[in-house]
Amino acid sequence: MRDKAVRTSRVTALVASATLVASAALAGCGSEPDVPVLRWYINPDAGTQAKLAEQCSQASGGRYRIETALLPRDSSGQREQLVRRLAAGDSSIDLMSLDVPYTAEFANAGFIRRFSAADARRLTEGMLTGPLESARWQGDLYAVPFNTNTQLLWFHRSVAREAGLEIGPDTDVTWDQIIEAAEETGTTVQVQAMRYEGYSVLINSLVASAGGEILTNPEAGREVKPGLDSEAGREAARVIRKLATSKAAAPDISNADEGATQAGFLADNGGFMTNWPFVYTAETTALAELQAQLEEAQSESKREELRERIAAQEDRIADFGWARWPAVVEGRPSAPPLGGINLAIGAFSEHPDLAVDAVECLTSPQSQKIYMLGEGLLPTVESVYDDPEVAEAFPMADLLRESVDEAAPRPVTPYYPDITATLQLVWHPPAQVDEDTPAESAEMIVDVLHDERLS
Amino acid sequence: MRGRGLTIGWALGGLAIVVYTLLPVAWIVSLSFKVGEDVDNKRFFPTDWSWENYQTVFDSGLFLSALRNSVGISLIATVASVTLATFAAYAIARLEFPGKRVVLSTALAIAMFPTISLVPPLFDMWRTIGLYDTWIGLIIPYMSFTLPLSIWVLSAFFREIPWEMEQAAQVDGATPWQAFRKVIVPLAAPGVFTAAILTFFFAWNDFVFGISLTGSEAARPVPAALAFFTGESFFEQPNAAIAAAAVVVTIPVVVLVVLFQRKIVAGLTSGAVKG
Amino acid sequence: MTTVETPAPVTARAATTDRARRERRLGWYLCAPAFLVMLAVTAYPMLQAVWLSLQNYRITDPESRRFVWFDNYVVILSDALWWRDVGVTVLITVITVSVELVIGFAFAMVMHRIVFGRALVRTSILVPYGIITVVSAFAWQFAFAPDTGFVLGWLGMENYDFFAQFGSSIAVICLSEIWKTTPFMSLLLLAGLAQVPEELQEAAKVDGATSWQRLWKVTIPNMKAAIMVALLFRTLDAYRIFDNVFVMTGGAQGTETVSFLAYRQIITRTAIGLGSAVSVLLFLTVVLIAFVFIKLFRTDLSQVRGDR
Repeated sequence: MRDKAVRTSRVTALVASATLVASAALAGCGSEPDVPVLRWYINPDAGTQAKLAEQCSQASGGRYRIETALLPRDSSGQREQLVRRLAAGDSSIDLMSLDVPYTAEFANAGFIRRFSAADARRLTEGMLTGPLESARWQGDLYAVPFNTNTQLLWFHRSVAREAGLEIGPDTDVTWDQIIEAAEETGTTVQVQAMRYEGYSVLINSLVASAGGEILTNPEAGREVKPGLDSEAGREAARVIRKLATSKAAAPDISNADEGATQAGFLADNGGFMTNWPFVYTAETTALAELQAQLEEAQSESKREELRERIAAQEDRIADFGWARWPAVVEGRPSAPPLGGINLAIGAFSEHPDLAVDAVECLTSPQSQKIYMLGEGLLPTVESVYDDPEVAEAFPMADLLRESVDEAAPRPVTPYYPDITATLQLVWHPPAQVDEDTPAESAEMIVDVLHDERLS
Repeated sequence: MRGRGLTIGWALGGLAIVVYTLLPVAWIVSLSFKVGEDVDNKRFFPTDWSWENYQTVFDSGLFLSALRNSVGISLIATVASVTLATFAAYAIARLEFPGKRVVLSTALAIAMFPTISLVPPLFDMWRTIGLYDTWIGLIIPYMSFTLPLSIWVLSAFFREIPWEMEQAAQVDGATPWQAFRKVIVPLAAPGVFTAAILTFFFAWNDFVFGISLTGSEAARPVPAALAFFTGESFFEQPNAAIAAAAVVVTIPVVVLVVLFQRKIVAGLTSGAVKG
Repeated sequence: MTTVETPAPVTARAATTDRARRERRLGWYLCAPAFLVMLAVTAYPMLQAVWLSLQNYRITDPESRRFVWFDNYVVILSDALWWRDVGVTVLITVITVSVELVIGFAFAMVMHRIVFGRALVRTSILVPYGIITVVSAFAWQFAFAPDTGFVLGWLGMENYDFFAQFGSSIAVICLSEIWKTTPFMSLLLLAGLAQVPEELQEAAKVDGATSWQRLWKVTIPNMKAAIMVALLFRTLDAYRIFDNVFVMTGGAQGTETVSFLAYRQIITRTAIGLGSAVSVLLFLTVVLIAFVFIKLFRTDLSQVRGDR
C-alpha cells in the first residue's frame, strides 16, 4: 500500500520535474495531490519557518511540498519528542529543526542522516565556522546550520551613566563590575538561572570565559574527563554565587528564563541583563506596531495618546545599550553563549534526496535573511550580515558577528543531555552554589555517564 | 430558634465552600481577559476587559484541532469503557464463576501502576501496529485506566439492585424488556452515570499519554497542546493565552457538572462506599 | 491480592449442573472484553518494565545494552537523590491527605446538613473535581508567580518569589493538589455520613451529649470504614503526584517527587533501564501503602465493592 504510494509519487515527481519545471513555476502549483510531502518538525516561532516552507515548496516547482509540524516550546521537550520517535524508526520525520547541542547525540545514535561530502561542501559554503562545528560529528556533516544565536550584555544607558561605568560595544566589562554597578544604583542584573537548558548556557559561558571547559575531551563519549574541578570552574561558581547572593539579584533569579529576565530588565529597577537579541527586536517591533496604529487611528485624542506612547517607546529604545557578554577575568575576553538551530534530515525519511534539496533552499542566504528579519535570529551565512536591510534592523550586527565568532559552544558530545541535566541538578539554586559545586558536579557527571547515579 | 441558627451556620459553611471552589476559577477567567501590561499588574481583575486572548487561542488552529480531539477521544473512550465495564460488572455482581477474583485484582493492580512507566513500551507497540498519533491510540489506554474504577463502582451498584423486582414486574404482566427498562435501568442509571463521568474526566484530564503518544494535530489533546503555545517570541510563556485556553477547556466540565450534579453526587456517594 | 477476595459463594455440591456451567460461561464472556482491554495496554508493558529494569539500556545508545541483574536497584537505593525524592513525596502526601481529611470532613458535614443552596454547593464542589490538573496547576502558579500573581499584590509582597525556595514552593504545590482533590475526599466522606444511623444521633442527644461529643463518639466511629477508604484512595493517588510539580516548579528547589524522578530518567535521560527500575520501585511502594492500609488499619475494601 505504502510502497505503491511511494512509487506513484516518485513517478509523479519524475514527470513533474521533466515536464512541469517551466510551467509549474509560473502556475505556482504546489497543490498537486501526488507531490511528495516532506514533514518538517519545527520549534515554535512567529510563523517564519512555515512561511519559508511554503516558499521553498513553491520554488521546488512541484517536486516536493513541505508541511510543518510543531514541537514543544522548550528545548529539552523538543529533543524528548524527537528522540522518542526516531528511536522507534519514525519515517514521517523528513526534516527537523534541532537545537544545536543535540546534534551530536542524534548523529551518534544514527537518528539523522549524514550528508555526503559533495552535499556538505555545497550546502555549507560561506557559513560561519562556529555554528558549523555544532553541526558536525566525528568529522562529518550531519546537519546544516539554519540560524545561530548569541547573547549580549544589555543595559540601560541611564543606569550605566549613573554608576559611572564605561560600557559600550567596544568595551569589555566584567561580571564583578556590573554586579557592583547594579548594587550601587539599586538595580538588578538579570540572568537565566532557572533549572533548565538556559542555565547550562550560562554556566558553560562562565567557565569558558574564565579559560576552562566543562569537558576536556568531549569526543571520548562515556569516558570523558570533566574540566570543572579547576580554577575556571571555581571562578564561574564564584560569579554565580556573588550575583545570586547580592542585592543586584532578581528576586526570582532561580526561576528566571529568557522571558522573565526580559520583563525584569524592563521593570523600573532593571539595570543589566545577558540575553539573546530578540529582546531588542521586541522593542523595535512594538514601536513599529504603534506607528502602524497611528496611521489607522480615527480620532485626534487617540492619535495624541499614540504619539505619546511612540515617544515613550522611542526613549526606551534610545536607553537600550549593548555590549559584549561580560568577562569573568579582567583582561580576558569573554566567551559568549552560542545558540541556534540546525536543520537535520531524519534517518528514516523516505525522500532523503528531496530533503537535501529542501535543506538547501531553507538554509539559503535568501531564506536566512527572511528568517532574521522575521524572528530576530542570526544568519549562519556570513554574507547576510552585510545586507543593508539587516544592518538597519540590527544596529549591533557587527558585535553579534564578533560574538558568534568567539562564542563558546556547549560540549559536542552524544551524552550532552546527561551533562546538562547534571549541571542543572548540582548548580541549582544559584544562591547555594559554593566553591565545592564545580568539583561535585564533575564527579557526578562521571557517575551519571556510567549509570551509577540518578540524575 | 436553635434550628434556624444552625441553618444559617450551615448556609455560611456552604458559602465558604462556594468561595473555596470558585475563587481559583474566577482568577483564571479574570486573567484570561487581561492584555498588555495588565497581565503582570498583580491584581485580581483586569483594568480593561479584552477578548484578545480568546482570539489568539482560536486563531492558532492548534487549539481548535486539540479541542476537537479532546472531545471526540474522551466521548468515545467514555462510551466504550462504560459499555465494557457494565458487562463485566454485571457478571461480577450477579453471576458465580471462577476467575472473578482475578478480574478484580487485575483491575486494582492496574489502577495502582504509575502511568509514566507505561509510556516507552506503549509507544513502541503503537508505532509497530500503527496506532501512534491516532485517536484509537489514546482511546485504548484511557479505557484500560478507567475500566478498573468503573468496574468497581458498577459492581457495587449492581449488587445493591433488588433484582427480584424485575421478576415481580414480570409477574405483574410486564414484558422482560419493559421490566428491564422500567425497573432495572432507573436503578442502575446513577451507577452507569458515575462510571461515565469518572471516565470522561480521566480522559479529559490526561496529560502524560496525551503528550507522549501523539505527534501532530491529528490526535493531540488539549492538556498537551497547552505546552505548544508561544507568545510574541518563543522565549516567552504566553500566560494570558494559556489562561484563556484553560477557561475554554473548563467550560465543558462546568456544563457537565451543572447539568448532572444530582446524578454525579448520587453515584459517587452511594457507589463508591456502601455500608 | 487475597484481600479483595469475594466471600466464598455458598454453592451446593451440584455446582457442575448445566445452569452453573452456563452461568460460568456467560460470566467469562461478559468479563472477557474488559479484561482483555485492561491487559492489552498494561500487562505487556508492566512485564516489559520489570524486564527492562534489569538492564543497562539507553535508547540513544542501543549497542551498549546489557543485562545487569539488580544493579539498577542497587544504584537507586544507594542514591541520596532517590531518598530525598521519597522524602518529598511522603511529605506532600502526608500534608495533602491530612489537610484534605479535615477540610473534606467539614465540607461533607456542610453538604450533609445544608438546606438552602444545597444544589449550588454540591455543584460548585464538583468543579475542582472535574477540572484538568494541569489547569489547576497553572491557575495556582499564576496566582503566586512573581509576574502575574495577584496574591503577591494582596499580601503587599511584590518582590517575593514563592517558587524560589523549598518551603513556599511545596506549600503552593500542596495548595493546588488540595484544592483539586478535596472534593473527591468530601464526597466519599459524605457517603460515610449518610451511613450513620440518625437514631444513634438522637439517642445521644437525649443522653445530653454536646454536638462535639456526638461528633467524636457517634459520627466518626460509625463512619470509620468510609474514612479509611477515602484515606487509602487519596494516599495512593497523592503518592504519584506529577502534573502539579511538572507545571509549577519542574522539580526545582528540591520539590522533585518520585514520579517526576521516573519521568526524568525515562523520558529526559532516555535511560530506560534505570528509569524502569524507578517506576517498579514506585509501583512497589504504592502496593506497600495499599497493603499497610488493608492489613494494618483493616480497611475493608469490600465496602467499596458493596460486599457484605
